[in-house]
Amino acid sequence: MHTETETAARENLVLVLTSPVEPEEIDPDADLAGRYGLTSLNKVLFLTSLCDETGTELSRFTEHDLARMTTLREVVEAVAPTGIRAV
Amino acid sequence: MIVNRITAEAPVGGRISFARLDGTETFSLAELHARAGRLAASLAELGIGPGDRIGILAANSPQWVLLDLAALWLGAQTAGFEPGKFDPDQQLITRYGLRLLFTDRPSEAAEALPLTEVDRLVEKADSAPEPVSWAAWQVTTVKFTSGSTGEPKGLGATAGSIDSSLRAVQDMFHHRPGDDLFVFLPLSLLQQRYWVYSALRHGHDVTISTYEAAFATMRRARPTVVMGVPAYYETARRQLESRAARSGKPAAELARQLFGDRIRYLWTGSAPAAPAMLRFFTEAGLPIYEGYGLNETCIVAKNHPGASREGSVGRVVVGKEVLLDADGVISVRSDHPVNDHYEYAAPGDSEKVFRPGGLVRTGDLGLVDEDGYLYILGRADDVIVLENGKKVVVRPIEEQLRAGGAITEAVLFCPQQTDLVAVVCAAAQPPDERAIAAALNAANAALGKDERISRAIVATEPFTVENGLLTSQFKPRRPQIRAAYATELANPQEGIHAH
Repeated sequence: MHTETETAARENLVLVLTSPVEPEEIDPDADLAGRYGLTSLNKVLFLTSLCDETGTELSRFTEHDLARMTTLREVVEAVAPTGIRAV
Repeated sequence: MIVNRITAEAPVGGRISFARLDGTETFSLAELHARAGRLAASLAELGIGPGDRIGILAANSPQWVLLDLAALWLGAQTAGFEPGKFDPDQQLITRYGLRLLFTDRPSEAAEALPLTEVDRLVEKADSAPEPVSWAAWQVTTVKFTSGSTGEPKGLGATAGSIDSSLRAVQDMFHHRPGDDLFVFLPLSLLQQRYWVYSALRHGHDVTISTYEAAFATMRRARPTVVMGVPAYYETARRQLESRAARSGKPAAELARQLFGDRIRYLWTGSAPAAPAMLRFFTEAGLPIYEGYGLNETCIVAKNHPGASREGSVGRVVVGKEVLLDADGVISVRSDHPVNDHYEYAAPGDSEKVFRPGGLVRTGDLGLVDEDGYLYILGRADDVIVLENGKKVVVRPIEEQLRAGGAITEAVLFCPQQTDLVAVVCAAAQPPDERAIAAALNAANAALGKDERISRAIVATEPFTVENGLLTSQFKPRRPQIRAAYATELANPQEGIHAH
Protein backbone atom coordinates (compact mmCIF):
# COMPACT_ATOMS: atom_id res chain seq x y z
CA MET A 1 0.00 0.00 0.00
CA HIS A 2 1.06 3.61 -0.50
CA THR A 3 2.78 4.33 2.80
CA GLU A 4 1.91 8.00 3.29
CA THR A 5 -1.72 7.47 2.35
CA GLU A 6 -1.90 4.42 4.60
CA THR A 7 -0.54 6.36 7.57
CA ALA A 8 -3.01 9.18 6.95
CA ALA A 9 -5.83 6.68 6.51
CA ARG A 10 -5.05 4.93 9.79
CA GLU A 11 -4.84 8.21 11.67
CA ASN A 12 -8.03 9.62 10.21
CA LEU A 13 -9.96 6.40 10.60
CA VAL A 14 -9.44 6.15 14.36
CA LEU A 15 -10.76 9.71 14.76
CA VAL A 16 -14.24 8.63 13.71
CA LEU A 17 -14.43 5.29 15.51
CA THR A 18 -16.51 5.19 18.66
CA SER A 19 -14.22 2.70 20.35
CA PRO A 20 -10.61 3.65 21.06
CA VAL A 21 -8.30 1.84 18.61
CA GLU A 22 -4.68 2.75 17.91
CA PRO A 23 -3.92 3.59 14.27
CA GLU A 24 -1.37 0.80 13.95
CA GLU A 25 -3.84 -1.77 15.28
CA ILE A 26 -6.20 -1.47 12.31
CA ASP A 27 -6.16 -4.69 10.28
CA PRO A 28 -5.91 -3.54 6.65
CA ASP A 29 -8.10 -6.38 5.42
CA ALA A 30 -10.78 -6.32 8.11
CA ASP A 31 -14.28 -5.21 7.22
CA LEU A 32 -14.44 -1.69 8.64
CA ALA A 33 -18.15 -1.82 9.38
CA GLY A 34 -18.19 -5.30 10.90
CA ARG A 35 -14.95 -5.16 12.90
CA TYR A 36 -14.72 -1.49 13.83
CA GLY A 37 -18.36 -0.40 13.68
CA LEU A 38 -17.75 2.18 10.94
CA THR A 39 -21.15 3.57 9.94
CA SER A 40 -21.85 5.05 6.50
CA LEU A 41 -21.98 8.50 8.07
CA ASN A 42 -18.58 8.04 9.72
CA LYS A 43 -17.15 6.59 6.55
CA VAL A 44 -17.83 9.77 4.58
CA LEU A 45 -16.44 11.87 7.39
CA PHE A 46 -13.30 9.71 7.45
CA LEU A 47 -12.88 9.90 3.68
CA THR A 48 -13.50 13.66 3.64
CA SER A 49 -10.67 14.31 6.08
CA LEU A 50 -8.41 11.72 4.45
CA CYS A 51 -8.89 13.28 1.01
CA ASP A 52 -8.22 16.72 2.49
CA GLU A 53 -4.99 15.51 4.00
CA THR A 54 -3.77 13.69 0.93
CA GLY A 55 -4.90 16.36 -1.53
CA THR A 56 -7.31 14.00 -3.27
CA GLU A 57 -10.63 15.18 -4.68
CA LEU A 58 -13.44 13.26 -3.00
CA SER A 59 -15.61 14.22 -5.96
CA ARG A 60 -13.66 11.61 -7.95
CA PHE A 61 -15.83 9.04 -6.26
CA THR A 62 -19.49 8.20 -6.51
CA GLU A 63 -21.68 6.89 -3.69
CA HIS A 64 -21.30 3.49 -5.35
CA ASP A 65 -17.47 3.72 -5.20
CA LEU A 66 -17.69 4.49 -1.49
CA ALA A 67 -19.92 1.52 -0.84
CA ARG A 68 -17.29 -0.73 -2.41
CA MET A 69 -14.53 0.48 -0.07
CA THR A 70 -15.00 -1.90 2.82
CA THR A 71 -11.44 -2.32 4.15
CA LEU A 72 -8.56 0.01 4.95
CA ARG A 73 -6.59 -1.47 2.07
CA GLU A 74 -9.39 -0.72 -0.40
CA VAL A 75 -9.64 2.84 0.88
CA VAL A 76 -5.90 3.42 0.58
CA GLU A 77 -5.76 1.96 -2.91
CA ALA A 78 -8.64 4.13 -4.04
CA VAL A 79 -7.32 7.33 -2.49
CA ALA A 80 -3.57 6.93 -3.10
CA PRO A 81 -2.14 9.02 -5.94
CA THR A 82 -2.49 7.11 -9.23
CA GLY A 83 0.72 5.41 -10.29
CA ILE A 84 2.21 5.23 -6.82
CA ARG A 85 -0.07 2.46 -5.62
CA ALA A 86 1.78 -0.59 -4.44
CA VAL A 87 0.31 -4.01 -3.83
CA MET B 1 -52.07 28.94 1.95
CA ILE B 2 -48.42 28.44 1.14
CA VAL B 3 -49.02 25.09 -0.60
CA ASN B 4 -51.35 26.89 -3.00
CA ARG B 5 -49.13 29.90 -3.56
CA ILE B 6 -46.06 27.84 -4.44
CA THR B 7 -47.80 26.30 -7.42
CA ALA B 8 -49.89 29.33 -8.40
CA GLU B 9 -47.02 31.86 -8.33
CA ALA B 10 -43.74 31.44 -10.17
CA PRO B 11 -40.81 32.23 -7.87
CA VAL B 12 -38.72 35.24 -8.79
CA GLY B 13 -35.46 34.21 -7.15
CA GLY B 14 -33.61 31.42 -5.46
CA ARG B 15 -31.99 28.21 -6.61
CA ILE B 16 -32.24 24.53 -5.85
CA SER B 17 -29.16 22.32 -5.90
CA PHE B 18 -28.80 18.56 -5.74
CA ALA B 19 -25.44 17.65 -4.24
CA ARG B 20 -23.97 14.21 -4.76
CA LEU B 21 -20.46 13.08 -3.98
CA ASP B 22 -19.35 13.47 -7.58
CA GLY B 23 -21.00 16.76 -8.38
CA THR B 24 -23.81 19.26 -7.92
CA GLU B 25 -26.70 20.05 -10.23
CA THR B 26 -28.23 23.49 -9.78
CA PHE B 27 -31.17 25.21 -11.37
CA SER B 28 -33.30 28.20 -10.55
CA LEU B 29 -36.49 27.82 -8.54
CA ALA B 30 -38.28 29.40 -11.49
CA GLU B 31 -37.05 26.51 -13.63
CA LEU B 32 -38.08 24.00 -10.95
CA HIS B 33 -41.54 25.56 -10.90
CA ALA B 34 -41.84 25.45 -14.69
CA ARG B 35 -40.73 21.81 -14.85
CA ALA B 36 -43.16 20.84 -12.08
CA GLY B 37 -45.98 22.44 -14.05
CA ARG B 38 -45.07 20.53 -17.20
CA LEU B 39 -44.81 17.29 -15.23
CA ALA B 40 -48.28 18.00 -13.83
CA ALA B 41 -49.59 18.32 -17.38
CA SER B 42 -48.12 14.95 -18.35
CA LEU B 43 -49.36 13.26 -15.19
CA ALA B 44 -52.83 14.65 -15.90
CA GLU B 45 -52.62 13.06 -19.32
CA LEU B 46 -51.92 9.76 -17.58
CA GLY B 47 -55.17 10.27 -15.71
CA ILE B 48 -53.82 11.61 -12.41
CA GLY B 49 -56.11 14.16 -10.80
CA PRO B 50 -57.55 15.38 -7.52
CA GLY B 51 -57.90 12.61 -4.95
CA ASP B 52 -55.53 10.21 -6.70
CA ARG B 53 -52.43 9.06 -4.91
CA ILE B 54 -48.97 8.56 -6.38
CA GLY B 55 -46.18 6.76 -4.55
CA ILE B 56 -42.52 7.75 -4.62
CA LEU B 57 -39.97 5.21 -3.46
CA ALA B 58 -36.57 6.66 -4.30
CA ALA B 59 -33.45 8.33 -2.97
CA ASN B 60 -33.42 12.13 -2.88
CA SER B 61 -33.27 13.53 -6.40
CA PRO B 62 -34.66 16.30 -8.62
CA GLN B 63 -37.32 13.88 -9.82
CA TRP B 64 -38.53 13.35 -6.25
CA VAL B 65 -39.04 17.07 -5.76
CA LEU B 66 -40.72 17.48 -9.14
CA LEU B 67 -43.18 14.66 -8.47
CA ASP B 68 -44.09 16.14 -5.10
CA LEU B 69 -44.72 19.57 -6.59
CA ALA B 70 -46.60 18.19 -9.60
CA ALA B 71 -48.89 16.26 -7.25
CA LEU B 72 -49.58 19.45 -5.28
CA TRP B 73 -50.30 21.15 -8.60
CA LEU B 74 -52.90 18.52 -9.52
CA GLY B 75 -54.54 18.08 -6.12
CA ALA B 76 -53.18 14.54 -5.97
CA GLN B 77 -51.78 12.99 -2.81
CA THR B 78 -48.24 11.69 -2.50
CA ALA B 79 -47.04 8.80 -0.41
CA GLY B 80 -43.28 8.93 0.18
CA PHE B 81 -41.67 5.57 0.89
CA GLU B 82 -38.14 5.37 2.22
CA PRO B 83 -36.04 2.96 0.15
CA GLY B 84 -34.95 -0.01 2.21
CA LYS B 85 -37.99 0.20 4.46
CA PHE B 86 -40.51 -0.53 1.71
CA ASP B 87 -40.33 -2.64 -1.43
CA PRO B 88 -41.69 -1.30 -4.74
CA ASP B 89 -43.96 -4.26 -5.32
CA GLN B 90 -47.59 -4.89 -6.15
CA GLN B 91 -48.42 -5.35 -2.48
CA LEU B 92 -47.30 -1.80 -1.70
CA ILE B 93 -49.32 -0.40 -4.59
CA THR B 94 -52.43 -2.26 -3.51
CA ARG B 95 -52.10 -1.60 0.20
CA TYR B 96 -51.69 2.14 -0.21
CA GLY B 97 -54.07 2.57 -3.14
CA LEU B 98 -51.44 4.01 -5.50
CA ARG B 99 -52.42 4.99 -9.04
CA LEU B 100 -48.73 5.11 -9.95
CA LEU B 101 -45.50 4.32 -8.15
CA PHE B 102 -42.31 6.05 -9.22
CA THR B 103 -39.17 4.29 -8.07
CA ASP B 104 -35.43 4.21 -8.67
CA ARG B 105 -35.40 0.50 -7.74
CA PRO B 106 -36.20 -2.44 -10.01
CA SER B 107 -39.90 -3.28 -9.90
CA GLU B 108 -42.11 -5.77 -11.68
CA ALA B 109 -45.35 -4.13 -10.58
CA ALA B 110 -47.70 -3.00 -13.35
CA GLU B 111 -48.28 0.50 -11.98
CA ALA B 112 -44.58 1.12 -11.23
CA LEU B 113 -42.64 3.56 -13.41
CA PRO B 114 -38.90 4.14 -13.29
CA LEU B 115 -37.96 7.50 -11.81
CA THR B 116 -36.16 8.38 -15.03
CA GLU B 117 -39.57 8.48 -16.69
CA VAL B 118 -40.11 11.79 -14.88
CA ASP B 119 -37.59 13.53 -17.15
CA ARG B 120 -39.40 12.27 -20.24
CA LEU B 121 -42.77 13.38 -18.84
CA VAL B 122 -41.38 16.87 -18.16
CA GLU B 123 -40.10 17.15 -21.72
CA LYS B 124 -43.30 15.77 -23.20
CA ALA B 125 -45.48 18.71 -22.11
CA ASP B 126 -45.06 22.30 -23.23
CA SER B 127 -47.40 24.03 -20.81
CA ALA B 128 -48.79 23.66 -17.31
CA PRO B 129 -52.41 23.21 -16.25
CA GLU B 130 -54.16 25.57 -13.85
CA PRO B 131 -53.00 24.60 -10.34
CA VAL B 132 -55.59 23.09 -8.01
CA SER B 133 -56.32 25.01 -4.82
CA TRP B 134 -56.15 22.92 -1.65
CA ALA B 135 -58.54 23.42 1.24
CA ALA B 136 -57.03 23.41 4.74
CA TRP B 137 -58.68 20.12 5.69
CA GLN B 138 -57.52 18.21 2.62
CA VAL B 139 -54.75 15.64 2.87
CA THR B 140 -51.84 16.38 0.55
CA THR B 141 -49.60 13.47 1.52
CA VAL B 142 -49.39 10.29 3.53
CA LYS B 143 -46.42 10.12 5.87
CA PHE B 144 -45.23 7.12 7.78
CA THR B 145 -44.26 6.96 11.41
CA SER B 146 -41.29 4.79 12.28
CA GLY B 147 -43.06 3.18 15.20
CA SER B 148 -40.96 1.27 17.70
CA THR B 149 -42.69 -1.97 16.75
CA GLY B 150 -44.40 -3.54 13.78
CA GLU B 151 -45.42 -2.03 10.48
CA PRO B 152 -45.11 1.75 10.02
CA LYS B 153 -48.30 3.68 10.62
CA GLY B 154 -49.58 5.81 7.75
CA LEU B 155 -50.89 9.28 8.51
CA GLY B 156 -52.44 11.78 6.11
CA ALA B 157 -51.17 15.34 6.58
CA THR B 158 -53.60 18.17 5.94
CA ALA B 159 -52.72 21.21 3.87
CA GLY B 160 -53.65 23.42 6.83
CA SER B 161 -51.17 21.71 9.14
CA ILE B 162 -48.36 22.13 6.61
CA ASP B 163 -49.22 25.79 6.15
CA SER B 164 -49.39 26.42 9.87
CA SER B 165 -46.00 24.78 10.51
CA LEU B 166 -44.30 26.62 7.66
CA ARG B 167 -45.59 29.94 8.98
CA ALA B 168 -44.49 29.15 12.52
CA VAL B 169 -40.98 28.26 11.33
CA GLN B 170 -40.74 31.39 9.21
CA ASP B 171 -41.81 33.55 12.17
CA MET B 172 -38.89 32.18 14.17
CA PHE B 173 -36.08 31.86 11.63
CA HIS B 174 -36.86 34.41 8.90
CA HIS B 175 -35.41 32.36 6.03
CA ARG B 176 -34.69 34.80 3.22
CA PRO B 177 -32.80 35.35 -0.03
CA GLY B 178 -29.14 34.65 0.69
CA ASP B 179 -29.98 31.67 2.88
CA ASP B 180 -29.26 28.17 1.64
CA LEU B 181 -30.96 25.39 3.61
CA PHE B 182 -29.07 22.10 3.47
CA VAL B 183 -31.36 19.05 3.46
CA PHE B 184 -30.02 15.50 3.49
CA LEU B 185 -32.62 13.39 5.29
CA PRO B 186 -34.99 11.41 3.04
CA LEU B 187 -37.58 13.47 1.20
CA SER B 188 -40.07 10.78 2.18
CA LEU B 189 -40.10 12.64 5.50
CA LEU B 190 -42.59 15.43 4.87
CA GLN B 191 -40.66 17.96 6.96
CA GLN B 192 -37.68 17.71 4.61
CA ARG B 193 -39.94 18.82 1.75
CA TYR B 194 -41.00 21.83 3.83
CA TRP B 195 -37.66 23.42 3.02
CA VAL B 196 -38.37 23.20 -0.71
CA TYR B 197 -41.80 24.77 -0.14
CA SER B 198 -40.15 27.44 2.00
CA ALA B 199 -37.60 28.19 -0.74
CA LEU B 200 -40.35 28.56 -3.34
CA ARG B 201 -42.32 30.86 -1.07
CA HIS B 202 -39.53 32.94 0.45
CA GLY B 203 -36.94 32.99 -2.35
CA HIS B 204 -34.01 31.43 -0.53
CA ASP B 205 -31.81 28.64 -1.87
CA VAL B 206 -32.09 25.00 -0.87
CA THR B 207 -29.58 22.20 -1.36
CA ILE B 208 -30.69 18.58 -1.33
CA SER B 209 -28.15 15.86 -0.61
CA THR B 210 -28.26 12.40 0.91
CA TYR B 211 -27.53 11.14 4.40
CA GLU B 212 -24.51 9.17 3.21
CA ALA B 213 -22.95 12.02 1.22
CA ALA B 214 -23.87 14.93 3.50
CA PHE B 215 -20.56 15.36 5.29
CA ALA B 216 -18.75 15.55 1.96
CA THR B 217 -21.22 17.79 0.14
CA MET B 218 -22.07 20.18 2.97
CA ARG B 219 -19.01 22.39 2.88
CA ARG B 220 -19.09 22.47 -0.92
CA ALA B 221 -22.67 23.77 -0.68
CA ARG B 222 -21.69 26.35 1.97
CA PRO B 223 -25.20 26.37 3.47
CA THR B 224 -26.43 28.91 5.99
CA VAL B 225 -28.69 26.36 7.70
CA VAL B 226 -28.30 22.59 8.16
CA MET B 227 -31.45 20.54 8.76
CA GLY B 228 -30.07 17.67 10.82
CA VAL B 229 -30.71 15.15 13.54
CA PRO B 230 -28.76 14.50 16.76
CA ALA B 231 -26.95 11.42 15.40
CA TYR B 232 -25.50 13.50 12.59
CA TYR B 233 -24.24 16.28 14.85
CA GLU B 234 -22.98 13.79 17.42
CA THR B 235 -20.88 12.07 14.76
CA ALA B 236 -19.48 15.41 13.68
CA ARG B 237 -18.73 16.49 17.24
CA ARG B 238 -16.79 13.33 18.03
CA GLN B 239 -14.62 13.65 14.96
CA LEU B 240 -14.07 17.39 15.41
CA GLU B 241 -13.01 16.94 19.03
CA SER B 242 -10.61 14.14 18.08
CA ARG B 243 -9.16 16.18 15.23
CA ALA B 244 -8.78 19.23 17.44
CA ALA B 245 -6.90 17.15 20.02
CA ARG B 246 -4.66 15.68 17.34
CA SER B 247 -3.95 18.83 15.35
CA GLY B 248 -3.98 21.43 18.11
CA LYS B 249 -6.33 23.53 15.98
CA PRO B 250 -9.39 25.07 17.64
CA ALA B 251 -12.53 22.95 17.27
CA ALA B 252 -14.38 26.05 16.06
CA GLU B 253 -12.02 26.38 13.09
CA LEU B 254 -12.40 22.71 12.20
CA ALA B 255 -16.18 22.96 12.56
CA ARG B 256 -16.26 25.84 10.06
CA GLN B 257 -14.22 23.73 7.64
CA LEU B 258 -16.70 20.88 7.90
CA PHE B 259 -19.94 22.85 7.87
CA GLY B 260 -18.77 25.65 5.61
CA ASP B 261 -18.14 29.26 6.51
CA ARG B 262 -21.65 30.67 6.14
CA ILE B 263 -23.61 28.83 8.85
CA ARG B 264 -26.30 30.98 10.46
CA TYR B 265 -27.68 28.15 12.56
CA LEU B 266 -28.05 24.36 12.81
CA TRP B 267 -31.49 22.78 13.17
CA THR B 268 -31.90 19.57 15.16
CA GLY B 269 -35.04 17.57 15.83
CA SER B 270 -36.63 14.10 15.67
CA ALA B 271 -34.79 12.74 18.70
CA PRO B 272 -33.45 14.15 21.97
CA ALA B 273 -30.09 15.86 21.64
CA ALA B 274 -27.34 15.42 24.22
CA PRO B 275 -26.66 18.66 26.12
CA ALA B 276 -22.90 18.26 25.55
CA MET B 277 -23.39 18.13 21.79
CA LEU B 278 -25.58 21.25 21.77
CA ARG B 279 -23.04 23.11 23.91
CA PHE B 280 -20.15 22.04 21.68
CA PHE B 281 -21.65 23.57 18.55
CA THR B 282 -22.88 26.70 20.25
CA GLU B 283 -19.42 27.28 21.72
CA ALA B 284 -17.88 26.58 18.29
CA GLY B 285 -19.88 29.51 16.94
CA LEU B 286 -22.51 27.38 15.22
CA PRO B 287 -25.71 27.98 17.19
CA ILE B 288 -27.89 24.88 17.23
CA TYR B 289 -31.59 24.86 18.01
CA GLU B 290 -33.45 21.87 19.35
CA GLY B 291 -37.19 21.50 18.97
CA TYR B 292 -40.00 19.10 19.61
CA GLY B 293 -42.76 17.57 17.55
CA LEU B 294 -44.19 14.27 16.44
CA ASN B 295 -45.43 13.14 13.07
CA GLU B 296 -48.91 13.39 14.56
CA THR B 297 -48.50 17.01 15.68
CA CYS B 298 -45.82 18.43 13.38
CA ILE B 299 -43.65 21.10 15.02
CA VAL B 300 -44.79 21.93 18.57
CA ALA B 301 -41.93 23.84 20.14
CA LYS B 302 -38.59 25.15 18.95
CA ASN B 303 -35.66 27.08 20.33
CA HIS B 304 -34.65 29.84 17.96
CA PRO B 305 -32.52 32.98 17.86
CA GLY B 306 -33.62 35.28 20.64
CA ALA B 307 -35.67 32.61 22.45
CA SER B 308 -33.47 29.69 23.35
CA ARG B 309 -32.97 28.03 26.71
CA GLU B 310 -30.52 25.22 27.41
CA GLY B 311 -32.19 21.89 28.25
CA SER B 312 -35.51 22.97 26.80
CA VAL B 313 -37.03 22.36 23.37
CA GLY B 314 -38.08 25.98 23.16
CA ARG B 315 -41.36 27.80 23.49
CA VAL B 316 -44.55 26.41 22.04
CA VAL B 317 -45.03 27.74 18.51
CA VAL B 318 -47.92 29.85 17.25
CA GLY B 319 -50.95 27.69 16.44
CA LYS B 320 -50.12 25.00 19.01
CA GLU B 321 -51.02 24.55 22.65
CA VAL B 322 -49.42 22.15 25.11
CA LEU B 323 -51.55 20.64 27.84
CA LEU B 324 -50.10 18.56 30.67
CA ASP B 325 -52.19 16.03 32.53
CA ALA B 326 -51.81 15.18 36.22
CA ASP B 327 -48.93 12.80 35.44
CA GLY B 328 -47.17 15.38 33.27
CA VAL B 329 -48.04 13.65 29.98
CA ILE B 330 -48.09 16.12 27.09
CA SER B 331 -51.10 16.52 24.85
CA VAL B 332 -51.00 18.95 21.94
CA ARG B 333 -53.86 20.97 20.54
CA SER B 334 -53.40 22.46 17.08
CA ASP B 335 -55.28 25.22 15.28
CA HIS B 336 -54.78 23.10 12.15
CA PRO B 337 -54.34 19.46 13.21
CA VAL B 338 -52.27 17.13 11.06
CA ASN B 339 -55.23 14.75 11.20
CA ASP B 340 -57.61 13.11 13.66
CA HIS B 341 -56.76 9.50 12.85
CA TYR B 342 -54.20 7.25 11.19
CA GLU B 343 -54.96 6.21 7.65
CA TYR B 344 -53.09 2.93 8.12
CA ALA B 345 -52.66 1.44 11.58
CA ALA B 346 -53.70 -1.45 13.78
CA PRO B 347 -57.20 -1.24 15.27
CA GLY B 348 -57.17 0.97 18.35
CA ASP B 349 -53.97 2.82 17.48
CA SER B 350 -55.77 5.98 16.37
CA GLU B 351 -57.86 6.12 19.54
CA LYS B 352 -54.74 5.88 21.73
CA VAL B 353 -53.21 8.99 20.17
CA PHE B 354 -55.98 11.13 18.67
CA ARG B 355 -58.39 12.38 21.30
CA PRO B 356 -61.62 14.37 21.08
CA GLY B 357 -61.21 18.12 20.62
CA GLY B 358 -58.31 17.81 18.20
CA LEU B 359 -55.93 16.70 20.94
CA VAL B 360 -52.95 14.45 20.31
CA ARG B 361 -51.68 12.50 23.29
CA THR B 362 -47.94 12.37 22.74
CA GLY B 363 -46.95 9.90 25.45
CA ASP B 364 -44.06 12.20 26.36
CA LEU B 365 -43.57 13.62 29.81
CA GLY B 366 -42.90 17.32 30.00
CA LEU B 367 -43.01 20.49 31.96
CA VAL B 368 -43.28 24.13 31.01
CA ASP B 369 -41.28 26.72 32.94
CA GLU B 370 -42.55 30.13 34.00
CA ASP B 371 -41.27 31.71 30.77
CA GLY B 372 -43.07 29.19 28.57
CA TYR B 373 -40.13 26.94 27.67
CA LEU B 374 -41.03 23.29 27.25
CA TYR B 375 -38.83 20.55 28.70
CA ILE B 376 -39.16 16.91 27.65
CA LEU B 377 -38.48 14.56 30.54
CA GLY B 378 -38.96 11.22 28.80
CA ARG B 379 -41.64 8.88 27.60
CA ALA B 380 -44.61 8.12 29.81
CA ASP B 381 -44.01 4.50 28.81
CA ASP B 382 -40.46 4.89 30.09
CA VAL B 383 -41.63 5.48 33.62
CA ILE B 384 -40.89 2.44 35.69
CA VAL B 385 -43.22 1.91 38.61
CA LEU B 386 -41.29 0.08 41.31
CA GLU B 387 -42.94 -2.41 43.63
CA ASN B 388 -42.85 0.19 46.39
CA GLY B 389 -45.02 2.46 44.20
CA LYS B 390 -42.25 4.92 43.44
CA LYS B 391 -42.24 6.14 39.83
CA VAL B 392 -38.86 6.40 38.19
CA VAL B 393 -38.38 8.41 34.99
CA VAL B 394 -35.63 6.56 33.21
CA ARG B 395 -34.25 9.11 30.75
CA PRO B 396 -32.38 11.39 33.21
CA ILE B 397 -30.87 8.28 34.79
CA GLU B 398 -29.76 6.97 31.43
CA GLU B 399 -28.27 10.36 30.61
CA GLN B 400 -26.39 10.25 33.91
CA LEU B 401 -24.89 6.89 32.95
CA ARG B 402 -23.73 8.22 29.60
CA ALA B 403 -22.32 11.43 31.03
CA GLY B 404 -18.81 10.13 31.79
CA GLY B 405 -18.08 8.86 28.29
CA ALA B 406 -17.43 5.19 29.16
CA ILE B 407 -21.00 4.29 28.17
CA THR B 408 -22.42 5.37 24.82
CA GLU B 409 -25.96 4.07 25.27
CA ALA B 410 -27.93 3.00 28.33
CA VAL B 411 -31.43 1.60 28.71
CA LEU B 412 -32.91 0.99 32.11
CA PHE B 413 -35.17 -1.88 33.15
CA CYS B 414 -36.63 -3.16 36.37
CA PRO B 415 -36.60 -6.96 36.06
CA GLN B 416 -37.79 -7.46 39.61
CA GLN B 417 -39.14 -5.52 42.61
CA THR B 418 -37.13 -2.32 43.00
CA ASP B 419 -34.01 -3.57 41.24
CA LEU B 420 -32.96 -1.22 38.43
CA VAL B 421 -30.67 -2.76 35.84
CA ALA B 422 -29.16 -1.00 32.83
CA VAL B 423 -28.23 -2.56 29.52
CA VAL B 424 -25.31 -0.46 28.30
CA CYS B 425 -23.12 -0.13 25.22
CA ALA B 426 -19.47 0.34 26.08
CA ALA B 427 -17.46 3.13 24.47
CA ALA B 428 -14.37 0.89 24.35
CA GLN B 429 -13.92 -2.48 22.69
CA PRO B 430 -13.26 -4.73 24.47
CA PRO B 431 -15.42 -3.11 27.15
CA ASP B 432 -13.51 -1.37 29.93
CA GLU B 433 -15.29 -2.91 32.91
CA ARG B 434 -13.59 -0.65 35.43
CA ALA B 435 -14.67 2.45 33.54
CA ILE B 436 -18.24 1.14 33.33
CA ALA B 437 -18.26 0.34 37.05
CA ALA B 438 -16.98 3.85 37.73
CA ALA B 439 -19.74 5.32 35.55
CA LEU B 440 -22.30 3.22 37.42
CA ASN B 441 -21.05 4.38 40.79
CA ALA B 442 -20.82 8.02 39.68
CA ALA B 443 -24.42 7.88 38.43
CA ASN B 444 -25.61 6.30 41.65
CA ALA B 445 -23.87 8.97 43.69
CA ALA B 446 -25.85 11.62 41.83
CA LEU B 447 -29.19 9.82 41.93
CA GLY B 448 -31.87 9.42 44.57
CA LYS B 449 -32.14 6.30 46.68
CA ASP B 450 -35.00 4.84 44.65
CA GLU B 451 -33.12 5.53 41.43
CA ARG B 452 -30.07 3.48 42.34
CA ILE B 453 -28.90 1.21 39.54
CA SER B 454 -27.84 -2.17 40.89
CA ARG B 455 -25.92 -3.46 37.88
CA ALA B 456 -25.07 -2.88 34.25
CA ILE B 457 -25.23 -5.52 31.56
CA VAL B 458 -22.80 -4.78 28.78
CA ALA B 459 -24.36 -5.26 25.35
CA THR B 460 -22.52 -7.70 23.13
CA GLU B 461 -22.84 -5.32 20.17
CA PRO B 462 -23.80 -1.65 19.83
CA PHE B 463 -27.49 -0.83 19.42
CA THR B 464 -27.98 -0.07 15.73
CA VAL B 465 -30.81 0.39 13.28
CA GLU B 466 -29.50 -2.66 11.41
CA ASN B 467 -29.72 -5.03 14.39
CA GLY B 468 -33.18 -3.72 15.21
CA LEU B 469 -32.26 -2.21 18.58
CA LEU B 470 -32.60 1.42 17.42
CA THR B 471 -35.47 3.01 15.53
CA SER B 472 -34.63 4.73 12.25
CA GLN B 473 -34.56 7.93 14.30
CA PHE B 474 -31.90 6.42 16.53
CA LYS B 475 -34.05 5.92 19.59
CA PRO B 476 -33.52 2.71 21.58
CA ARG B 477 -36.20 0.10 20.99
CA ARG B 478 -36.80 -0.89 24.59
CA PRO B 479 -38.94 -4.01 24.08
CA GLN B 480 -36.38 -5.42 21.63
CA ILE B 481 -33.45 -4.63 23.92
CA ARG B 482 -35.29 -6.20 26.84
CA ALA B 483 -35.93 -9.32 24.76
CA ALA B 484 -32.34 -9.52 23.52
CA TYR B 485 -30.95 -9.43 27.07
CA ALA B 486 -33.80 -11.17 28.89
CA THR B 487 -31.55 -13.90 30.33
CA GLU B 488 -28.97 -11.48 31.68
CA LEU B 489 -31.64 -9.14 33.06
CA ALA B 490 -33.28 -12.00 34.95
CA ASN B 491 -30.08 -13.32 36.49
CA PRO B 492 -28.92 -11.15 39.43
CA GLN B 493 -25.39 -12.54 39.10
CA GLU B 494 -24.98 -11.15 35.58
CA GLY B 495 -23.32 -7.87 34.72
CA ILE B 496 -21.14 -5.30 36.42
CA HIS B 497 -22.41 -4.61 39.92
CA ALA B 498 -22.51 -1.26 41.65
CA HIS B 499 -20.59 -0.82 44.88
